[in-house]
Amino acid sequence: MSADEEQAREQLIDLAAQFYDQFELGEIPHMSVPTRTKNNIEYDEDEKVWVYGDRESTRSANSVRGARKLLKAVYTIDFLAEQLEEDRSSTLRELYYLSESWDNDEAQFNDQDESNSMVEDLEIVSGVTREDFHMRPEESGATIMGPLHLREQTRRGEREIHCQEDVGEGGYQIPNNPDTIEFLDTDADFILAVETGGMRDRLVENGFDDEYNALIVHLKGQPARATRRITKRLHDELGLPVTVFTDGDPWSYRIYGSVAYGSIKSAHLSEYLATPEAKFIGIQPADIVEYELPTDPLSDSDVNALESELEDPRFQTDYWEEQIELQLEIEKKSEQQSLASHGLDFVTDTYLPERLSEMDVI
Amino acid sequence: MTSFQSTLGDEPGIAEELAENQQAISIAEFFEKNKHMLGFDSGARGLVTAVKEAVDNALDAAEEAGILPDIYVEIQEAGDYYRLIVEDNGPGITKESLPKVFGKLLYGSRFHAREQSRGQQGIGISAAVLYSQLTSGKPAKITSRPQGASEAQYFELIVDTDENEPEISVDETTTWDRPHGTRIELEMEANMRARQQLHDYIKHTAVVNPHARLELREPTAHFKFERATDQLPEETEEIRPHPHGVELGTVMKMLTATDSQTVSGFLQEEFTRVGKKTADSIIDEFRDRHYGREMRWRPPSDHENVDLEAAVSAATSNKGADATAAFAAAIAEAVADTDRIAHHELLEAVDTAAEDVEAEHDTTFGDTVRKNAVDAVWLELIDAREDERSESSDGRAGAKRHASHEDGAVEADAADDPAESRLVADLYDLADEATSTRKDDEVIHAFAERLAAKFEDELEGDDDDGDGNVRHRLTHGRLEDHVDRAADLTEEYDDVSFGDTARENVVDAIWSVMATVPDDPPLVRELDGDRDASSELVDGMRATDIMAPPTRCLAPISADLISAGLEKEFEADFYASATRDAEVHGGDPFIVEAGIAYGGDLEAEGGVDVMRFANRVPLVYQRGACATTDVVKSIGWRNYGLDQPGGSGLPKGPAVIMIHVASTNVPFTSESKDAVANVPAIEDEIELAIREAARELKSYLNKRRSMQQRRKKQNVLGKILPEMATKVAEVTGRDEPDIDDAIARIMNNVLVEREVEQNGDGQAVSIVVENNSSTNESLEITDIVTAEPTNLPDDATIVEMDGEWFVKWEPDVSSDEDATLEYEVADDADFDLDVKGVETEKLTVKQ
Repeated sequence: MSADEEQAREQLIDLAAQFYDQFELGEIPHMSVPTRTKNNIEYDEDEKVWVYGDRESTRSANSVRGARKLLKAVYTIDFLAEQLEEDRSSTLRELYYLSESWDNDEAQFNDQDESNSMVEDLEIVSGVTREDFHMRPEESGATIMGPLHLREQTRRGEREIHCQEDVGEGGYQIPNNPDTIEFLDTDADFILAVETGGMRDRLVENGFDDEYNALIVHLKGQPARATRRITKRLHDELGLPVTVFTDGDPWSYRIYGSVAYGSIKSAHLSEYLATPEAKFIGIQPADIVEYELPTDPLSDSDVNALESELEDPRFQTDYWEEQIELQLEIEKKSEQQSLASHGLDFVTDTYLPERLSEMDVI
Repeated sequence: MTSFQSTLGDEPGIAEELAENQQAISIAEFFEKNKHMLGFDSGARGLVTAVKEAVDNALDAAEEAGILPDIYVEIQEAGDYYRLIVEDNGPGITKESLPKVFGKLLYGSRFHAREQSRGQQGIGISAAVLYSQLTSGKPAKITSRPQGASEAQYFELIVDTDENEPEISVDETTTWDRPHGTRIELEMEANMRARQQLHDYIKHTAVVNPHARLELREPTAHFKFERATDQLPEETEEIRPHPHGVELGTVMKMLTATDSQTVSGFLQEEFTRVGKKTADSIIDEFRDRHYGREMRWRPPSDHENVDLEAAVSAATSNKGADATAAFAAAIAEAVADTDRIAHHELLEAVDTAAEDVEAEHDTTFGDTVRKNAVDAVWLELIDAREDERSESSDGRAGAKRHASHEDGAVEADAADDPAESRLVADLYDLADEATSTRKDDEVIHAFAERLAAKFEDELEGDDDDGDGNVRHRLTHGRLEDHVDRAADLTEEYDDVSFGDTARENVVDAIWSVMATVPDDPPLVRELDGDRDASSELVDGMRATDIMAPPTRCLAPISADLISAGLEKEFEADFYASATRDAEVHGGDPFIVEAGIAYGGDLEAEGGVDVMRFANRVPLVYQRGACATTDVVKSIGWRNYGLDQPGGSGLPKGPAVIMIHVASTNVPFTSESKDAVANVPAIEDEIELAIREAARELKSYLNKRRSMQQRRKKQNVLGKILPEMATKVAEVTGRDEPDIDDAIARIMNNVLVEREVEQNGDGQAVSIVVENNSSTNESLEITDIVTAEPTNLPDDATIVEMDGEWFVKWEPDVSSDEDATLEYEVADDADFDLDVKGVETEKLTVKQ
């Protein structure tokens, strides 16, 4: 066990010891975690990211629900401590299924959301990231394509990889813990994070990475932590500007939000995951109008999402308010691929160069 | 009717007196055709009704004699018939009263008595006797043994159905094992199909008469219902009828029967809640109806060209100038002092003036002089002076100006009558005030003229004495006629509407200024037989505000005994009951009581049982037609924790709801007395009584629910927390932590904990009470110690018993507070803590 792992393990056991002491003092066992809702995230001026505010929820044995939660927490702590000791790892989903094997019915998780949020609770309370617990998501599968040379620590030793020359069309697969990567060299001028696989493939096929020295990071929808982490590291360590290219709908703006400012559920890790300097390319509502893109009407849930974004602290900038209000006005949304209505090369020849130069990236 | 058993020979009250005067209605034959009305429409039902009537009778008989009822009911199969035997331990019955009690329909002391009793209409048991005789042809066999008698008497009774005359066919001495009581044996065509109703009836009777012992023997079964209390229901007192509750016929009979001479005496003697003052109010109302009121006219004002003094002076002769002037002045002044004056008030004023002037001037103002003065002033007041009437042939029958009046020809007439009548101006003001402002002045004026004409017409001699109604004395009805006529004409000639409301308002306005006349009311003997006048008296009684009747005539079961009765017959977890204060409906006081039993062995499936009682008698049939059922259905039972599909209708669940209506006259929907009629006043009270009991049920259910939740929580946490503690110990590698304090705190429990410390030779004991609950708790803690404790604080007491010391400590501990009891005791002592005053669910004891 490495020193980091040893520390992670101790912090977990300290948490259990805290419950022990509460029992001994005749107190009701409890733990407090920041409330993970958008009402409780605040802008951190120093780090320029969004972090949790002061509001806390208490998981207390005062109620049957709370007591079950704490029992599960203790069982999870036991499992994680053991896993670290044995230097193994498991996925979030495996934790959920593994709980079935526990000797106590009351400690078993009812669904994976419950086990996921338990791991988040423990991360927050212990100050150790999930990755340091050796917990990983099922699949991230997100990839990088572009002029980047790196070294990765794998189970089978160190590997040096060039993300254009040493990889296939699929690109370089981002590992679960990107902190095991060391960047060696890059010719890239900027990072282009793309929401959908179809657009990513279009850009690669059109040779956009070559032509513009872009590192194309595939976000695969709402980006996994590893994707966000590596994006941040690329930005911080290599000084590459980060741009985000998504669909033109409220859900996609949240993808940008989580890259740039951190997500609500992992605001405790914003410093570690978020890249506040990331810029939004589009599709902007303004683009829908300007490029006369094919559109779909906004659904009720789209409208609700947009309205809720107007209240989301992450989107309280003049730029976003203007864009969101415009979209509410035109009542339309467009996908990235709707750019194809002007031809398959329109995106690489016209749209992106225009937007990127507007944004002073190229 | 059984009250004859006990009241016979007592001083007869008004009701008995009336009953004697009342001609027995021969309805034996009528019964044959109307069996259904009396509850004998089928063999099955006939048996239940017969049992019901006989048991009601028996209960009344025993109670009235102050005996705890012990009633035996037996049903035997007797060939094609059934034989019903009912025995009671009442005071027995004499031969003389026997036929009346058992044999004659509608002959009962109860019919007019204002007292709560089971039998009310005087139909009951005699109907059963008749039914038995009609179906089996057998006589009723009655055995009776009065208290103290050495022998019992056996009778057989047959009713002559044509004459409604009972005859005793057998009368012989017999032996009977009861020391006193009555036994009746009836044979009848019947069947046991209504066994369920029969059982319900007996069981419900047992619930509602916890002081009675009941036994039911059927051919194949035998039930006993023991007493739950030795407390007899409070003796009811008969009250005189309340003026609001009597009918014309009754009043007419009472008028015939009374010893009083005057109406005032009659009212005070024969009715409850009537004293001198109330009697006067009733008589005033009666006068208004019988004699009518006299119109009061305004005295002349200054600008009017009316000189009363001159009129009096002119009418007075030979009394000397000074005396005449003084007389005239006194009258004019007295009249001017009034707001309005009626004829009889003028009479008084003239008399007063005459007497004053007589004293001062030593002259006599005789009747003629006074009458002349009155006439002179009155005719001035009503604008019908002699000089204007001179053309009139008889010189009296006034208003010549209008003698040729055709109704409505006002315009034509007004033209040749420049000076408008005083009456018109007066009536105009009244009508203008009473009608809406939208009415045109002209219209009101025309109306007032026409109405004044009606008053003037009153002067015409259509009176008995041909003198005309000079005094303007009108009944309300006649006033209405006049107003109607005037209004009709106004509508016709002036082409405006003069609606009912406006007419009523005008009538009310005029009636309210009119004066009740001082005439003496007729004497009782004059009223006797005068249907119209009697009716006016009854109307007067109804119109007068009279205090509600006293309630000592009612015997509610009382909330405590309702609960006792329910507990006796139903194995439930919870009982609640409520007794309302007495209310009045139609002159009859009534009290509503309700009880609820819940849980336990009660049937949880289906609707709740509703038990209905009227004057302690279970109502078995016609549940759906009963006001009590309607009220139960109308209540939102979900609020009270009972299941009620759809939010209305009969609630579901393991519950019994009982309702008792006690009254001197329970309004039933029919003669068979199966259902209480939908009288709003009674329904309101039923609802309030049920809600009162239901509120208790609700808080019981809430508490039970919260205790259940607490138990459930305790069960789950009692499992989870130790497991959590074990796991925490495992992860941290320590010993298992002590979790009792935490659990007590989580459960908001009261924790009682003993701490013992070595203290030199002995040990210091402290008992700590920690109240984690949200309420203040009062505990009773007993610590049983095997050695003598010392250094006890003042608030603890100590008792030694057989080598054990009982330390008693009763602390009050507020929410979130602690209390500690400390003492010292020898080293080898053992302890045992006993804690009371806190629900077990909320208590954690650690010792």
